[in-house]
Amino acid sequence: MATRVAFENSNEIGVFAALTNGYCLTGINRSENFYSVFEAELGAHIPVIHATIAGCRFVGRTTVGNRRGLLVPNTATDVELAHLRNSLPDGIVVQRVEERLSALGNIVACNDHVALVHPDVDRETEDVISDVLGVEVFRQIVGGQALVGSYCKFSNHGGMVHPRTTVEDIEELSSLLQVPLVAGTVNRGSDVLGGGLIVNDWSSFVGLDTTSTEISVIENIFRLSGSGSSSGGGQRGQGQQSNIVTNMRSSLIDQLS
Amino acid sequence: MMDVCTSIPSSAATASAGTSATILCCMCAAPISPNPSNTCSSCLASSTDVTRGISTEATLHQCRGCSRWHQSEGKWIGCDLESRELMALCLVNVSGLKKKRNDDGGGRVRLVDAAWVWTEPHSMRLKIRLTIQREVTSGGAILQQSFVVTFVVRNQQCVECQAAFRQGTWKNLVQVRQRVGHKRTFLYLEQLILKHGAHRGCLSIETFKDGMDFYFPDKGKAARFMSFLEDVVPLKVKSSKKLIGTDDKSNVSNYKYTSLVEICTLCKDDLLFLPKAVARHIGNISRLVLVKNITNVIHVIDPITGQTGTIESDAYWRDPFRPVITAARTRLTRYVVLGKEPVYLERNASRKGVSKKQRSKLALITSARESDLGTNDSTLVERSHLGYLMKGGDVCLGYDLRETQLVDDDAEEARTDGKFPDVVYVRKLYGGVAAGESDAARKRMFRLQRLNVKKGDEEGGGGRRKKAKKDAETDHMDEEDFLQELEADREMRARVNIYKSDTALKEERNDERDEDDGDENDEDEDDQKITLDELLDNLALDSKPDAVEDAAMQGDMTNSDEFQGFVEEGARAAKDKIGYVSRDEALNIQAKETAIPVVGNVWGEDFMHKDGK
Repeated sequence: MATRVAFENSNEIGVFAALTNGYCLTGINRSENFYSVFEAELGAHIPVIHATIAGCRFVGRTTVGNRRGLLVPNTATDVELAHLRNSLPDGIVVQRVEERLSALGNIVACNDHVALVHPDVDRETEDVISDVLGVEVFRQIVGGQALVGSYCKFSNHGGMVHPRTTVEDIEELSSLLQVPLVAGTVNRGSDVLGGGLIVNDWSSFVGLDTTSTEISVIENIFRLSGSGSSSGGGQRGQGQQSNIVTNMRSSLIDQLS
Repeated sequence: MMDVCTSIPSSAATASAGTSATILCCMCAAPISPNPSNTCSSCLASSTDVTRGISTEATLHQCRGCSRWHQSEGKWIGCDLESRELMALCLVNVSGLKKKRNDDGGGRVRLVDAAWVWTEPHSMRLKIRLTIQREVTSGGAILQQSFVVTFVVRNQQCVECQAAFRQGTWKNLVQVRQRVGHKRTFLYLEQLILKHGAHRGCLSIETFKDGMDFYFPDKGKAARFMSFLEDVVPLKVKSSKKLIGTDDKSNVSNYKYTSLVEICTLCKDDLLFLPKAVARHIGNISRLVLVKNITNVIHVIDPITGQTGTIESDAYWRDPFRPVITAARTRLTRYVVLGKEPVYLERNASRKGVSKKQRSKLALITSARESDLGTNDSTLVERSHLGYLMKGGDVCLGYDLRETQLVDDDAEEARTDGKFPDVVYVRKLYGGVAAGESDAARKRMFRLQRLNVKKGDEEGGGGRRKKAKKDAETDHMDEEDFLQELEADREMRARVNIYKSDTALKEERNDERDEDDGDENDEDEDDQKITLDELLDNLALDSKPDAVEDAAMQGDMTNSDEFQGFVEEGARAAKDKIGYVSRDEALNIQAKETAIPVVGNVWGEDFMHKDGK
């Protein structure tokens, strides 16, 4: 189930929040609305944390992480780092990265197993990503865009890439990531997927402008449909859903034929 | 610094080649290939209006008097319907086309095409169809849309026409006067003015018994006109001004200026008896001279020796004198040339030499008065500076000094003493005039353009109609005299524009037909005779004098197609390479067509490439 949300009249919620299977970071808003949406949706399962990086609210673009760890740029202060370490569950490693391209969210796209990174990142950064997040790292571009974190988004179940990505590239990326991929848009035709969409294995949030068509594409590819927000087992719900659909369809076909 | 959100969309060209994936239109879920807005065209068209903020109605102002269009800030330009210039004017008046609109988030508007749409000629409407492109999203989606803009044509009088219609708007009056009994100088002046367009900016022209009045809207135009006059005739200017109103607070006063321009009384072909000092001053010339022509100086010639001289304008005005005989029809006598003999001049070292050119023109002419022919055998033998033009049988005009009484005492004394020649030949007659034909004037091969002048009201009284009739007769006679003068003087003709008359056109056609017709004037050394190739072709025959003057007055009105005739619809647009929606198509045209996305290049890319090369 994808939830529409806006951050202070901005649809680019991926800028202000980061979501993984283990935790959720949100930027500090003047009102608590933004935080409340996440809290309501995720609070029962994972911690939802207010955070800043270098005193700024756009935590979604400056950090990258998965259920194993969280990478923050070198601009993050020690206090912020301590706050994150205190708030996150014990198993999650928080690591600062000395990377020139400091908007980590823009240059890295990852799930719990694989990560795509900007072709120009340092060797050391690549090693850190690989070690801390426990993922295989590939230097890639998506749809002619080097900022892979901005133009593609994937979870452990599926992923969405920039609409201009060619069919061949989608197939290649799909085999690389071992998840099904689709070209799509958010926020009424915007191709900045990292900005308009945040997703983990059982929930997703999209910008307020996102149309129902886009939401249905997102729910399908990330296998979110059918599961209620309360249920932690998105995969099981998905399985039930598809069973019902298959049964219904075959019975319909039987009746009609 | 952090490169947060530095998602610079690189151009589509860098995307790797291959089959692009099908995505769903974000609004209607129709499968489409990706485009900048990622929306299918129908959704895009229904959701956005690129013509927003652009007015589809505007007003244009046209002056009914001179058909010019109001451009801006009181500037008026003349342009034809369907012309490029008018299109430019229309486009300037479409609000929202130029300025970038920040409030609606839309990008800059790019005008792709503009075409004229047919409108009913009397509807006072102009319609143009514009095709514009505009960036509708920040992602660079460009939509193209056509729409029709209607212009309402309103009447508004331009400043010049206002000034011309309102009374008393003139600022400077130039009164040109010459105190002589005929109008030939003014007829000549009129031709000069026409040729040089010197009356441009003049509000109105009035003619009086001994001169003309020119009304000007400002001092500068009048000054320009007077400096033109200074170059063509010797004159004296007296200026005065009258206070109309004054504003002491801002130290501004409003004056009306009147300039009295007095032209010297000497005219071409006048006979002068020069004051001794003047004669001595200009090369010790004989005191009895003929005025050869008038420019900004007075050119005189001694008819007996062919010696020439010039009297400067200021020299004349220092000590003005009047001619002994004014060239008027009543004073001139017709002579028939019977024969001529060469003249041998002994050179006089003490006198200023007569130029060889003039000497060679001298001849001894034997002639008889036309009226004497058949009654008596009296003949005259006299030298003349026109000798080279004459041959037996020619008719010429001259002053008969044997019988004329002169007013000037000195001159009369000299005449009775026999110091004067018997006759002074003034000019040779040509064509039908020489033969004494009654329709000579009509058969003349050239004609002249005329100024549009008003008759100044002169004091009326009893017998007004009779007087008017007499005036008309005098005017007609003066005109005829002027034309004869022109006919006999090549230099004078060179200074004015003369046009072919119907007679000349006919003659031309005949010439083409029988080319072998022996030309008897082959070895004629008469260089003063008028020839066809001096004449100009295109005097607009059917236009009223008004039209010619109006066209001349509107300096910037380059094209006057209306005078040439009816222009077909769309012809002008085609000539200026502007699209034209014809009458039939115009019925089907939509006020706003649906927008279509422009696929391919990124906004401004072609422009950038063009610039780079």
